[in-house]
Amino acid sequence: MEQDAQLVQQCLQGDGSAWEELVRRHTRRIYNICYRFTGNGAEAEDLSQDVFLRVYKTLGSYRSAYGGFATWMTSVTRNLLIDHYRRTKRDRVTDSLDDAMPVVENKASSARRPDELALLGELSSQIQTALTKLSPELREAVILRDLQQLEYGEIQRTLAVPEGTVKSRINRGRIELARILQQMGVGPS
Amino acid sequence: MSSLPTWTHEEIEARLTDYLEGLLQPEEQRAFDAHISNCEQCEPLLASVSHLLNDLHSMNEIEPPPRLIYAILDKTLGPRETVTGWRAAFAWLRALANPRVGYGFASVAATFLIVVSGSSFSWRKPRLADLKPAAIYRHADQQVHLVYARGTKFVSDLRVVYEIQSRLSQDDQQIPVQDRRPAPKGDPGQTDGTNPSSPKQQNRANGIDRNLQMLATDLQLFVERRIR
Repeated sequence: MEQDAQLVQQCLQGDGSAWEELVRRHTRRIYNICYRFTGNGAEAEDLSQDVFLRVYKTLGSYRSAYGGFATWMTSVTRNLLIDHYRRTKRDRVTDSLDDAMPVVENKASSARRPDELALLGELSSQIQTALTKLSPELREAVILRDLQQLEYGEIQRTLAVPEGTVKSRINRGRIELARILQQMGVGPS
Repeated sequence: MSSLPTWTHEEIEARLTDYLEGLLQPEEQRAFDAHISNCEQCEPLLASVSHLLNDLHSMNEIEPPPRLIYAILDKTLGPRETVTGWRAAFAWLRALANPRVGYGFASVAATFLIVVSGSSFSWRKPRLADLKPAAIYRHADQQVHLVYARGTKFVSDLRVVYEIQSRLSQDDQQIPVQDRRPAPKGDPGQTDGTNPSSPKQQNRANGIDRNLQMLATDLQLFVERRIR
């Protein structure tokens, strides 16, 4: 993580290779967050590019005291994902997509290409479909905790909400996800 | 013994994650277990969430498309300069500016030079056949044997020199100063009558003298050859 801070300093001094190194170090993680949130490869690619563009433009505002470059980047990613969700909200076919309960979206998951299906595997594909049916608040909490394996403190800093809220969202997200999977016929035998 | 507090379905649901992550106090844990063991609604929920967590944790990361990194770099740093023609052929040399790549390249080049130098490959008359592994091995084997033979000869020469020195010093110590006189002229076995009772000793002494003279001559030649 100290290496990230050092690379950021080099970037700010105009070192293009340092920026390239930062991109190579974080692309995979950012792409995965975007993919898990949107459930769509093309959207995840576009959003990943937007994340790095915003990070590149606002690199001067990064402070290492914030909690690590990775956490800062995750926070930028999360903000962009929420913006994207709100922007595309009206385009989706839904009738109960309020910020409050119920937390389950009615929208069917976006169709996946065969290569994406092969990449994900059957079970992963079903979980991914179920994830996109969760409300954005619960979805991001579950993604950060259970797929990105972040600590509560990191999630708290990323989402900028109290730890109690983080725990509550993770708990509700897991329960809702389990129920959606059960409705889909996926669950413990 | 105090009775366990009774938890509702809502309480169980709210503390499900704490239970699964082992964050409940012992008292809470017992209350949770007591409810779960008798609840047809909460027990399956706990099982399905626990199962879900296992599935989530076993999910692999998605590999991003390789083009993504280049797309990001193009979008942030701008399109990269496309090098064409003869400059493209030497574009890889830029990578040597990176210390890691430079050191790696230097060590590979040094290793190659050492291996080639150890083989029968001649820079003046380069032949591809000399770079075959069998040829390199054969030449290396010859070189090892040659070095070993030279080493053995050198050690043997040194031994002779030390032997001469030790014999000379022994003779110096054994012969008292007043007894030192010129060696008698004559044939082997001939005595000068000073010690007629020991002609064999005289013969031996004459033999050692001759050997020493020969060894000294050899030594001189050896040293001169070494100097040259």
